[in-house]
Amino acid sequence: MRRPVLTLYCLLVYAFLLAPILVVVGASFNAGNFLAFPPQGLSLRWYVVFFNNEVFMRAIRTSLWVAAVATVISTVIGTMAALYYVRYAGRMKELVRVALLAPLLLPEVLTAISLLFFVYAIGIGTTTMFGMVVGHVLITLPFVFINVAASLESFDPAWDMAARSLGAGRLTRFRRIMLPLIKPGVIGGALFAFIISFDIFTISLLLKGIGTSTLPIQLFDYLRTNFTPEAAAVSTVSIVLTLAVVIVSEKVLGLRIHRF
Amino acid sequence: MTPGRARWTGPWLLLLPALLLLGIFLVIPYLNIAVMSFRTPGQGTPYGEGFTLSNYLRFLGDGFYLMQVASTLWIGALTTAICLVVGFPVAWQLSRPSMRFRGLAYGLVLAPLLVGIVIRSYGWTILLGNAGLINRTLTGLGLIETPLPLMYNTLGIVIALVHVFLPFMILPVMAAIQGVDPSLEAAARSLGASRATAFRRVTLPLSMPGIQAGCILVFVLSLSAYVTPSLIGGMRVRTMAVTVVDALIDTFQWPWGSALALALSVTGAACVLLFARATRMKWKMARP
Repeated sequence: MRRPVLTLYCLLVYAFLLAPILVVVGASFNAGNFLAFPPQGLSLRWYVVFFNNEVFMRAIRTSLWVAAVATVISTVIGTMAALYYVRYAGRMKELVRVALLAPLLLPEVLTAISLLFFVYAIGIGTTTMFGMVVGHVLITLPFVFINVAASLESFDPAWDMAARSLGAGRLTRFRRIMLPLIKPGVIGGALFAFIISFDIFTISLLLKGIGTSTLPIQLFDYLRTNFTPEAAAVSTVSIVLTLAVVIVSEKVLGLRIHRF
Repeated sequence: MTPGRARWTGPWLLLLPALLLLGIFLVIPYLNIAVMSFRTPGQGTPYGEGFTLSNYLRFLGDGFYLMQVASTLWIGALTTAICLVVGFPVAWQLSRPSMRFRGLAYGLVLAPLLVGIVIRSYGWTILLGNAGLINRTLTGLGLIETPLPLMYNTLGIVIALVHVFLPFMILPVMAAIQGVDPSLEAAARSLGASRATAFRRVTLPLSMPGIQAGCILVFVLSLSAYVTPSLIGGMRVRTMAVTVVDALIDTFQWPWGSALALALSVTGAACVLLFARATRMKWKMARP
């Protein structure tokens, strides 16, 4: 392909990628009663409706809570596993990698159904958030593992040896030498975990209990029966929330994203 | 430290939490779902006593479900092929380090991944509906009289799925092309190969692992997608994932739902293996 043609083609693809997102954001400022794009008159009225809608606000709180809990758990477990994988796994390396990536390679629908049966088999059903949190940890774990493992691969063991020769114990070495050096990978992994958890659908749909809908589930339910621009306002707030998390992490924590 | 003590405090403890999590909440439930698919249907309960083949026999004997598997596989294959054709030139351009605004372009590819799948599918309903942006623009310009049927059909589902999964094609392909040493192509050129020949005979074969990884990823994700087919397809076009999930949520028929889900997964896995064999590449997962 000639260069100008290729550039034009790529611009079209980028437009295609952004189009549905821009349309949703645009529709959220609609002043009319029905969803329309381009909007008929600009107004923030649907944001007011949304912020006064207790069902949606509860869903946002649930989503933030589940994402926070899942992120903490998968970051700790995933970092430990990545440490083992890079430094100690030896001949088991391939096996450990496939095992840790398994949740990513299996269809989410099947994982969701099997977890649903499992929580009923152990007798708690969907009366607690246990199943949903476990599901979110399963799905987010591979992302933490991939990111931390990538940053550990570039960690020079000589640093560790030096600290060891100076008499530092195992924990001190981890806390003072390794952790600061692999921090970008850990934070990147945690960030992915949070964003992905915020978006997980099928697992949340099957494992939600009464009153524990996450934001994507509540939005999906709403879209099946309602056609007002409120859903667009909900979506826009959700997009802004995610962007804020990314930007703040990048500025405050000094993020370096490895792959994906 | 004695060897005995080392066994209890060794580094494998680092792996233990992850192994326990995956073993208890992934391996056991997956074995359970396989067993569940052979259970008898229950009356008033999710499943009954004893075991039976009837769920699979019902599936194989019912043309309706076989057609649905076929149409789900068709949608997956179509989505994958279009993602590859649409995404390859973009991946190719992104892999050139000399490209201007490379960071911005890369960000544009990643950006949709940050936006939830429900929201992106919702955006497509605004664009594709009978009163959607595309149809109203076309009727407004006088190009068409009646709205084009863009939603509630396979076309609409494929358009939206291509959008949702395109980044999953572009990223691995881009990584693979980046991994090809540019001096190889330069060598081919210096030996008299045209630009197109050098690309076709050198760069393309060497970037096959990335293409393969991208295709498998997009295909598998398309097969198990629930949100997009459900919102775009409505009641008229249903994919297997939608049927399975709705069957479980609405009617609580666990053995039947398990059998359907496993039938789809096994068929999908068989397709992936056939594809891997057809592209004559060793089944090797992309390194993290």
